[in-house]
Amino acid sequence: MRGNFGYFEDDRPGSFSAGAIWKRILVRVRPWWKSVLLAVVLSQVVVGAGLAIPWLVKEALDRYITAAGLAPAERISGILRIAVLFCATAATGFAANFFQVVVLERCGQEIMHRLRQDLFARIISLGLPFFDRQPVGRLVTRLTNDIQNMHEMFTSVIVTLFNDILRMAAIVVILAAMNPVLAGILLLALPPLFGLTALFGRTARRLFRDIRATVAALNSFVQECASGMSVIQIFGAEDRVRSRFDELNRDNLVRNLRQIAVFAMFMPVIELFATASTAVVIWRGGSRVLEGMMSIGALAAFLHYIRLFFQPVREMSQKYSIVQSAVASAERIFLLLETTQQEPQGGGRVPRSPAGAVEFREVSFAYDGGPEVLRGFSLKIAPGETVAIVGPTGSGKTTVINLLEGFYRPGRGAILVDGVAVDELDPAWLRRFIGLVSQETLILPASLRENITLGRDIGEAALARVVEQARLGPLLSRMEKGLDTAVGIGGRVLSAGEEQLIALARALAGDPGILILDEATASIDSATESLIEEAIATTLAGRTAIVIAHRLSTVRRADRIVVMEAGRIAESGSHEDLAAAGGRYAAMLEGERLRD
Amino acid sequence: MNPETKRRLRLLFSLFRPRLAALAAGFAALLAVDAMQLFIPRVIRDAVDGIAAGSADEQSLFRQGLVIAALGCGVFVCRYGWRRLILGASRQVERDLRARIFDAVLGLDAPFFHKNPPGSIVALASNDLNAVQMACGMGLVALVDAVVMTLACIGFMLAMHPFLTLIAVAPLPFLALATALLSARLHHRFAAAQKRFAELSEFCRQSFAAIRLVKAAGIEARQTRAFGRIGRSYIRDNLRLATVQGALFPFSGLMGNLCLLLVLLAGGRLVIEGAVSVGELVAFISYLFMLTWPMMAFGWVAGLFQRGMTSLSRIMKVLDSRPVMAEPSEPLPLPAMDKGVRIELSGLNLDSGPGRRLLEGIELSAGPGLLGIAGPTGAGKSLIAAVVARILPVADGCLFINGVDANRISPAAWRGLVAFVPQHSLLFADTVRANIALGRPDAGLAEIEAAARAAAIHDEIMAMPAGYETVIGERGVSLSGGQKQRLALARAILSDKPVLVMDDPLSAVDAATEQEIIANLRKIFRNRTCIVASHRFSLFEEADRVVVIERGRVTDRGSHRELAARNPWYAMVAARQAMDLKP
Repeated sequence: MRGNFGYFEDDRPGSFSAGAIWKRILVRVRPWWKSVLLAVVLSQVVVGAGLAIPWLVKEALDRYITAAGLAPAERISGILRIAVLFCATAATGFAANFFQVVVLERCGQEIMHRLRQDLFARIISLGLPFFDRQPVGRLVTRLTNDIQNMHEMFTSVIVTLFNDILRMAAIVVILAAMNPVLAGILLLALPPLFGLTALFGRTARRLFRDIRATVAALNSFVQECASGMSVIQIFGAEDRVRSRFDELNRDNLVRNLRQIAVFAMFMPVIELFATASTAVVIWRGGSRVLEGMMSIGALAAFLHYIRLFFQPVREMSQKYSIVQSAVASAERIFLLLETTQQEPQGGGRVPRSPAGAVEFREVSFAYDGGPEVLRGFSLKIAPGETVAIVGPTGSGKTTVINLLEGFYRPGRGAILVDGVAVDELDPAWLRRFIGLVSQETLILPASLRENITLGRDIGEAALARVVEQARLGPLLSRMEKGLDTAVGIGGRVLSAGEEQLIALARALAGDPGILILDEATASIDSATESLIEEAIATTLAGRTAIVIAHRLSTVRRADRIVVMEAGRIAESGSHEDLAAAGGRYAAMLEGERLRD
Repeated sequence: MNPETKRRLRLLFSLFRPRLAALAAGFAALLAVDAMQLFIPRVIRDAVDGIAAGSADEQSLFRQGLVIAALGCGVFVCRYGWRRLILGASRQVERDLRARIFDAVLGLDAPFFHKNPPGSIVALASNDLNAVQMACGMGLVALVDAVVMTLACIGFMLAMHPFLTLIAVAPLPFLALATALLSARLHHRFAAAQKRFAELSEFCRQSFAAIRLVKAAGIEARQTRAFGRIGRSYIRDNLRLATVQGALFPFSGLMGNLCLLLVLLAGGRLVIEGAVSVGELVAFISYLFMLTWPMMAFGWVAGLFQRGMTSLSRIMKVLDSRPVMAEPSEPLPLPAMDKGVRIELSGLNLDSGPGRRLLEGIELSAGPGLLGIAGPTGAGKSLIAAVVARILPVADGCLFINGVDANRISPAAWRGLVAFVPQHSLLFADTVRANIALGRPDAGLAEIEAAARAAAIHDEIMAMPAGYETVIGERGVSLSGGQKQRLALARAILSDKPVLVMDDPLSAVDAATEQEIIANLRKIFRNRTCIVASHRFSLFEEADRVVVIERGRVTDRGSHRELAARNPWYAMVAARQAMDLKP
């Protein structure tokens, strides 16, 4: 679907002043000043050509067409001379206009591209606590719609607005030179015209925001009903759904009619100003001609310039609202760009002989002001040991992983990898050393090979081993170009199970010292699940591994099972010991037996 | 006129009919605007001629100025009028057409929704409808305006000087042609840029949704580079768009200037020869300026109408769709049910396209009591549930209720008997209460709470910010998969129908809660006909009978105990579960 990305935030007052926002915008534009200058010069040429043409017509009328004193042949050759000038002017205007659009689009796109890249790089560098608070949709909006708003202002407003103002000023000057009194009368119309435009711009913006909101509500309602039609029909809720729809449909109509009413007033008012000015010029200007103070050609030019003068005014309110929303977008973008919730700084240490020993020492942790998720959690994992963590939702299983990866810093206690505290370790090394396979998956828009290697230098033999270990054979045989098949956006679509196998291969390709499987098989059908379980079993051997799983059948292969409850270890031991002990694990087994 | 176009126009006419008076008034106002606008240059010409001839004085000029101002006011009033009347009518047509689309969709069944995913229906009711509205509103206005203005301008010009007119309008057809060609290309390139824009946002969404993986794999820089590559393509698409845009609008200006030049050359000569007055030439030039816009408008309107017609035929396809499970010509009354309900499937085949058989020769009978349907993923369990719930159509003689063929009974009457818990819980962005009471809006809070308790969700509802009045969904509280399933179950329980069909209803519910729910359901199973498709065998211990479906066929049937003893697949799954028990 085109257009709306569910975007209707209010323009909340931010912490930037208008000056600060414009300063930041200008800093972004500065590297492109030559292109911008070229665009301005080109549009000057456009304006100049536009103004020169009525002047040429006037010259033709005054000097030759109405010049009864000259010989007809002389008059006609005069007109021809002007025609040549006319052609050159019109052609120059056309060419300049074309290049101005292209040059401006190019530098606008380049500036926005830089801004978008910087913003993406900034967001992706922020720590997980930041993402906990920001809905993904909002971040996407910053990178797409907000940037788009700024681009629109850049290409369709800044230069043209500059031009429009310049053109209007030039017209005023020309008119004043031709006849100061008449020009003065016309100038009186300007203040109410601008006041009206600003008022209208604000109103239009509010109206459009209202309409966007009702359209979004209507669309999401239709979407919901279309998805759930079988349920609506079975439960006989058609009438109720219909009356709710009618309400939304009517709201939308009412707001559209309101918008029509406002526009129906504004557009004709501007025309009225233009016509009234014409009337004044005929009356006062005509009298001046009669008095011999002004030529007929000047009167014709005057009438023409008035039309040119009012042309940009009609669009000015639209531009005004574009600028308003672009500035609001710019503020949101720059606020985000200057967010400093980077990931916690790591040290630079690397263990002398990394073997994969992990230790949690009396660790306590709470997410951003929330309740404590871990309370004095202690766990020691020997190199090569497979430990499974089980426990009810919210008992802190995933938090253990988040702390080990260094995504968050513990409130109290310490986490050691091969005897070195995680916050002293080089984070890049740590994340290479740990391979994570989680419930969520990420497929990059690239070949399968790249999705597995992630650009790491991995030999063909090693890659073949990984493909074998992760049981990718059947998947690859379905791909027309094997490992070189493009997947992700614009490429082949993979099933959840296939994505999970690739995630596993990706983790294995780094030959990690510690392998973490966090609910890696939770959302997978049974056939794929057995394939993955098989793959996992062969890869765990000889590696430190931490497995988190719902299904206890996955867990029972572990050397040790840790049962977590409310942020602490409640039980720990082998499957056999725990099953026999008759504690929580045994109760969970019983629950699972009843369930299946 | 081909029949398809005739049908489209008939539909449009039926939509416009209630608003004919408003439209007529609107177009009258539009014509009045055109007339007055055409009259203004005449007044100007008279004034200029008067000045040139020396016959004008301050008084006559004041009168002429006053006439122009009065015409301006008239134009203002009539413009305001047509904008409100015509554009307002087009919005009302939009509203009515959207309601017709929605009505049509409400009456359609699964085969339609299979071919038309929700996104495409939304696109129909927004983008396509928008295109129709644009054609009916601004498109119609621009067309009438352009035709009238063109005819009038050319008429006046012809009246003044036919030869000069011919010369003046000679380049204009090229302008209309070029506009039509370029705007088609513009549309095409615009669509390409929009598609790339969608890729950009999808890439962002994926990267941020899986931020933990991005960080764990340390591929922040890689992702930024990949994002940059899409961004580069986006720049390229936009530059291609800009080259068309940059040519289109200046080109019409160029053509207008060409007309002006021709008039200046030929007209100048005529004035010199005394064949045309200076005032006439000035008026001629102003008519010429008036012509530029209608000429551009023709190209624009052509594109608008074309898009509107394409969209309208897409919309009509939906309006013309009929449910596969139509009302039977002579519907039979529902059979007597005082001795309970018996549902039978007999020789049921189901295909998805030629040669792809999903269900083959299904024979089974359910009720009163609980029938379990077991089988591996993709065997066809959900299809059977959907057939019994009358979501999927069947051939005659395949589905019976107490001996009466389902196809002889009105689908609505059948649905009145059945409560359904689908595999993917469908909840609406509304309050918890309204979601549970979907089938029975009159239910009191006590009944709703009782249903919620039976589905073991009451306590969790009470813990929500506003209890039963909490709004759920996109802009409200988001629920876990297990909570959604239990709300859907509560909805089915509350609807209190004689037949209950459940498709894997508890897959996301934890074991302890599942036991609690099964205990509650026992009472409900007893005096109803229930059909449950499930991966979980725990429910089947309550079942009177279980059928095993494999690759679309019934391969075994019996009690849970019997199957566990003799069916290899059933026994394997059971053994796998039991494995966890043995120390």
